[in-house]
Amino acid sequence: MFYREAGQYSTSYAQDRQLLTLRQDRLGMVVMLAVGFVGIPLVASDYWLSAILIPWLVLALVALGQNILMGYAGQLSLGSAGFMAAGAFACYNLILRVPGIPFLVAVLLSGLIAAVIGILFGLPSLRIRGLYLAVATLASQFFIVWALDKFGWFKNYDTSGIITAQDIVIFGHTFASPAEKYLVVLVIVASLTLLAANMARGSIGRGWMAVRDMDVAAEAMGLSLLRTKLQAFAISSFYCGVGGALFIFAYLQTAEPAAFSIELSFRILFMVIIGGLGTIMGPFLGAGFILLLPIFLNIFFHAVFGRAVDATITSALEQVIFGVLIIMFLIYEPLGLARLWQITKERLRLWPFKY
Amino acid sequence: MSFFFEVLVGGLLSGIMYSLVALGFVLIYKASSVFNFAQGAMVFFAVLSFVGFMELGLNFWAALPVTVALMVGVGVLTERFVLRPLVNQSEDTLLMATIGLAFVIEGVAQLAWGVEVRRLDLGIPDEPMGWLADKTDILVSQLDIAAGLVAGIMVAVLALVFSKTKVGRGLRAVADDNAAALSIGIPLKQIWVLVWATAGVVALVAGMLWGARSGVQFALVGVALKALPVLIIGGFTSVPGVIVAGLIVGAAEKLAEVYVGPFVGGGIEGWLPYMLAVLFLLVRPEGLFGEKIIRRV
Amino acid sequence: MDMAIHSREQAPKAAPPQRGYAIGGPILELDSVSLRFGGVKALTDISFDVLEHEVRAIIGPNGAGKSSMLNVINGVYRPQEGSITFRGQKLADMTPNRAARLGISRTFQNIALFKGMTVLDNIMAGCSLREKATFLEVALQLPRARREENANREKVEEIIEFLQIEHIRKTPVKRLPYGLQKRVELGRALATEPKILLLDEPMAGMNIEEKQDMCRFILDVNDHYGTTVVLIEHDMGVVMDLSDRVVVLDYGRKIGDGTPDEVRSNPAVIKAYLGVAD
Repeated sequence: MFYREAGQYSTSYAQDRQLLTLRQDRLGMVVMLAVGFVGIPLVASDYWLSAILIPWLVLALVALGQNILMGYAGQLSLGSAGFMAAGAFACYNLILRVPGIPFLVAVLLSGLIAAVIGILFGLPSLRIRGLYLAVATLASQFFIVWALDKFGWFKNYDTSGIITAQDIVIFGHTFASPAEKYLVVLVIVASLTLLAANMARGSIGRGWMAVRDMDVAAEAMGLSLLRTKLQAFAISSFYCGVGGALFIFAYLQTAEPAAFSIELSFRILFMVIIGGLGTIMGPFLGAGFILLLPIFLNIFFHAVFGRAVDATITSALEQVIFGVLIIMFLIYEPLGLARLWQITKERLRLWPFKY
Repeated sequence: MSFFFEVLVGGLLSGIMYSLVALGFVLIYKASSVFNFAQGAMVFFAVLSFVGFMELGLNFWAALPVTVALMVGVGVLTERFVLRPLVNQSEDTLLMATIGLAFVIEGVAQLAWGVEVRRLDLGIPDEPMGWLADKTDILVSQLDIAAGLVAGIMVAVLALVFSKTKVGRGLRAVADDNAAALSIGIPLKQIWVLVWATAGVVALVAGMLWGARSGVQFALVGVALKALPVLIIGGFTSVPGVIVAGLIVGAAEKLAEVYVGPFVGGGIEGWLPYMLAVLFLLVRPEGLFGEKIIRRV
Repeated sequence: MDMAIHSREQAPKAAPPQRGYAIGGPILELDSVSLRFGGVKALTDISFDVLEHEVRAIIGPNGAGKSSMLNVINGVYRPQEGSITFRGQKLADMTPNRAARLGISRTFQNIALFKGMTVLDNIMAGCSLREKATFLEVALQLPRARREENANREKVEEIIEFLQIEHIRKTPVKRLPYGLQKRVELGRALATEPKILLLDEPMAGMNIEEKQDMCRFILDVNDHYGTTVVLIEHDMGVVMDLSDRVVVLDYGRKIGDGTPDEVRSNPAVIKAYLGVAD
């Protein structure tokens, strides 16, 4: 009734390897893409685009990068916001100082710059793990933000300490309206997500997970821990860097280094854990959850108390909820919302039967 | 020259305070092999509750035991609802769980007591110590000295307890292997309550000292984050290590801030301790006094 | 290729069992190898060789240094003294990584499977030596990446069929019973296409049926692929039936070396296991 896969079997290895093996899933993806690329820009309000959808996509991208590092490769990192900052300021400076540089090239280069920094700060991972590594990544977080703040060159010596992102100009067309910005972000995020999905399911992802689960055995299989870990740091930082660039160019417009604080890193961490470690869908679910929760809380309070509640109370309540959810997910379902979604799909397939 | 000593002593003293916060981490780690990322939040919660209780009418000496009892309660709840369900999981999972715990505690603290900054008056003025200033031209705050003394005494007492007493040995046995400890008759539950109570007291004292210095506010949690490099440099399992590392970190960050800071616009103390920790990790991953970690295949 | 699957128990003791590959010259030689951990001497002056295509067992009481022996061969530990020669090449500075690339593969005593992955992915992970495609090629699914993936999948499916685990190939390994996990670990080691296979107690904790299956697989690997096998084993029956030659260790020293029958009647070996009545 809802979800059947009778009669659909893979008859070749290539077929078995596809991202979406079921015809229904493929159909669903087509529908989703149609909605995403066509439906939403036509229908959604500017508020929804600017305040919800764009940050959702951007933060999901960063969370995806973080998930590659933490969920797949098992390297605990608390520095995602620092790499976002690196990407953001790199993009700003590239467009500022390199005349005529295409926007997409600038974004790509910003990601690469972030990746290089990521490799540098990822070197400790070759000798340390777990909490020790987390503290080392804190070093990158604090240092990067401090450096961007202290050395005025990065901010073009602006006295207020804030940078204003330039317009997004691609092939001569300025993408200024929320719908246009949304499309740019969607294209970039969708493509990078596809690349990540390919890597995760392929030999690269297996290498990451092997290092995560049992690095001694991984080495005994011929995997190079150095290469695998640094590659994870590089790719993860690339995603965070691109996300950072989009964060200010498509979402915030103006930013100072302090916007990329340790608090933002923790928020990304929550998205990854709640969404589901080691999944591609997880970051999207986690980002959506964290963005929508404040809105739901507001609606809830309006309904129950008839008025808006003090912002400090809602933010404190959010903190408590996030913390509790993290603990609960870690105890009951480390694969997070992504796994819950999978279980729901499976139940729907069998409904009304139980198993 | 006296200026240098001022800065040095100031750094050493604030370093002792880092040690005090780090001590809470070490205690929990020694007893349950869990790294409690929420320790900083607990420091904040402890002192905030203490001040809150006083505002509710309790006097200083009444609020103390009430707060300690509260912290013990927090510890027991943590053990029951966070640590126990995750008992066989990886270290990384437990660490992430305590990060979640940190946020719960911070959120609850703010929900319960609000967000205004509180003052905490311990009766010791934050002014230079008179006779020292007269004799040697060095200005060191009395509050800092008192904090240093208290912290130093606590750390010394705890170090002795761990190494010399029966309770200390029991604690170390529990940290090594819960099941084995149980099988030789060590009362696990009691040990844990004791550990969390001690950690709670340590957190409260640390919070009080820091709070008296810079006000009881949310930024305290950030201070606790500084305790992490101290832990790494000193070695997770070593109480004396935590003292030495705290002194090093405190002195280094103050000296760097004062002497190198002006060239780069300041703010070095924000990241220097972490960089130091990274350097230590690359050279000596187990810290100054920590135990070497051997993984058997 | 005809897979000669048989149980050696049925073969008459007098005639040598049929083999897919005849035993050749020494493929691995250990010469005066000593290994210490601080003050503890794990191995002292060990010398023996392993002939190509044979099945060599390492036995000895607990704590004799058997696992350390394997760890030295595949580079997890580095011996303080002595040398190891593999296929004529003297090996210094061995790491597990290098060992894998040279064709030395192994299983672990406490099952070192990748708990977060399925059976298929675990065994595919063994193919990483042959994966030349860069991350970019995999990300963009360029032809070389696709070809490699499909080719490796075919090879792995052969192994899966060989080990009769088709029905669990998509199961996460952490959900498998112990015996099947050990089999998957064998599969993963096979996927590296090793010249020599080091098995650390491959039958520990198995019941009779599982042991028989495992014996069969090990023999088949040796017969069908010609892989030299070095295995640590406690079950004497298994050792006697499976192996061509045996090395006996006790307290880090070699106390016996020869065919199963020779070793069985060696007084030093008997003493080590059973003690001597005084």
